[in-house]
Amino acid sequence: MSNTNITQDPYYVDFKARIEQIQSVMAAKNIDLYLGSRLRTMSWTTGAFFPWRAFIVIPGHGLPTAFTFVIDAARAADDSWLDEDHVLGFVPMGGQDQISQISDFIKDQLPAGKGRIGIESGMSNYLPEGNLTHYEYEQFNAALESCELVNAHEIIDGLALIKDEGTINRFREASRIVDAGHQVVYEAIKDGGWKGMTETEIAGLAAYAMRKAGSVWEWSFTGGNEIASGYRTGLAAGACTPATTKTLQAGEPLMVDIHAMFQLGLGDHSHNYLIGPTTDRQRWHANNFLDIVKLTLKTYRAGITPSNLAFEMMGFAEERGFADFMVPGFEHGIGMMGDEWRIGMNDGPFPYWTNPDHVYQANEVLICAMQYACPEENIGFRYENPIVIHEDHCEELSKFRLTVDEIN
Amino acid sequence: MTDQYLYLSPQWAQEVEWRLRLELTPEKMNGLTSSMNNIYNNCPGGDKKFFFVSFQEGVVDQVQTGSGEGPKAEFIIHGDYEIFKQISQATLGAQRALMTGQLKLKGNMVKALKLASLVDRINKVIATIPTIF
Repeated sequence: MSNTNITQDPYYVDFKARIEQIQSVMAAKNIDLYLGSRLRTMSWTTGAFFPWRAFIVIPGHGLPTAFTFVIDAARAADDSWLDEDHVLGFVPMGGQDQISQISDFIKDQLPAGKGRIGIESGMSNYLPEGNLTHYEYEQFNAALESCELVNAHEIIDGLALIKDEGTINRFREASRIVDAGHQVVYEAIKDGGWKGMTETEIAGLAAYAMRKAGSVWEWSFTGGNEIASGYRTGLAAGACTPATTKTLQAGEPLMVDIHAMFQLGLGDHSHNYLIGPTTDRQRWHANNFLDIVKLTLKTYRAGITPSNLAFEMMGFAEERGFADFMVPGFEHGIGMMGDEWRIGMNDGPFPYWTNPDHVYQANEVLICAMQYACPEENIGFRYENPIVIHEDHCEELSKFRLTVDEIN
Repeated sequence: MTDQYLYLSPQWAQEVEWRLRLELTPEKMNGLTSSMNNIYNNCPGGDKKFFFVSFQEGVVDQVQTGSGEGPKAEFIIHGDYEIFKQISQATLGAQRALMTGQLKLKGNMVKALKLASLVDRINKVIATIPTIF
């Protein structure tokens, strides 16, 4: 359990206040107790990373209690603001399996073991989302027979949307770390250093540099650091390239998309290269990509929506003659670890997908993300950078230069 | 002839306390401060009984037996009389009984795992008591 001096720590997050916010919304929705199970919920409420199946029980008043696989409970408690009596471990033993342990705990929290319990259910493109499984739901429903289970994930989703200063500072630091990784990769591959190197080697170089700079994990579930070279940069509609053992080749593009984690704040920035000899056609593609990234960054601000931004940017791409190469999306959501998927609220016309009419507000953080892909010419580029939405502009958290570097 | 003690009787509890004090030094008990209450369901005659033991800095503090659910404790273990009986006879390990769901533990599992070997020590001492079940 960490004791943080609020006045000195720029990364301070008032987790207790977050819990009280949740409890206040619970009361308004007539929910007596919240049973969270998503990774994003665990991170946002505990301040600790829960890689194993985990749950958090938030009563109407007082401290929450987290539950996870016993092998990791003491470590999670150590990393969390909660003490060891509020981070419990479950094991396959009588009364200590997750269903018995948590349902017994819940019954003790509710008067006469009865009440309305908020749960987290739904679907996601993000595999480790952590919604309650069908089996878990059935088991809890049976064990808590005097309770009513209602889907209430929107409570956390709504509260976690706008980031506080401590959280934003964690993202700023994670981005500084990512920039250190990019610099080391650049130093290593310039002036022929790239020769004989594989994508995985570059991923490792970046990882080592970022760990030295303070990152605890190349957090992305997409294979950590994503490195693509040659045709892999231009896979149709692709924006996911776990590094492979492909060796870098002269005349090919190279995309370096690296990830750092600092106190559950996430860094995620892509930088692109052309390995010489470079053709004019490759430079044309590169300039298209750079121009649309610059325009997109200039456009982001509070008050716009994902759909009107996409409309404007695709119009620009069409005018310039490269719309065929743009994947028509310009961002993805981001929050503390586990919150990587949809932007804003998932209250769009397709359940659990991004709402295209979501109106960005100040202090939302998202990843400005663009994928340019021309599979016919084996070329593509990716841009990712966490941005903070402000009233009249966006703040780019990674400060690494926005260029497509030509290296020989 | 060695005296025999009726399982869960006040005399048996006294003997448990005496033997635990004698054989389990504070060092052997790692200076433990904790309490455990075993609640016996389906006892002969159909009632419920308990066996409570507490330690203060590794020294046995209280041993109690009786009818009903007994005092509050840091760890509460529920199970059938027959299961606890086998544990007290050393024919069944407490951990196996938990892992097979024959016993149900309530309490912080992280702390409980740290105490597992200590509970084994207690049970081994109890198994040496000549007992009438």
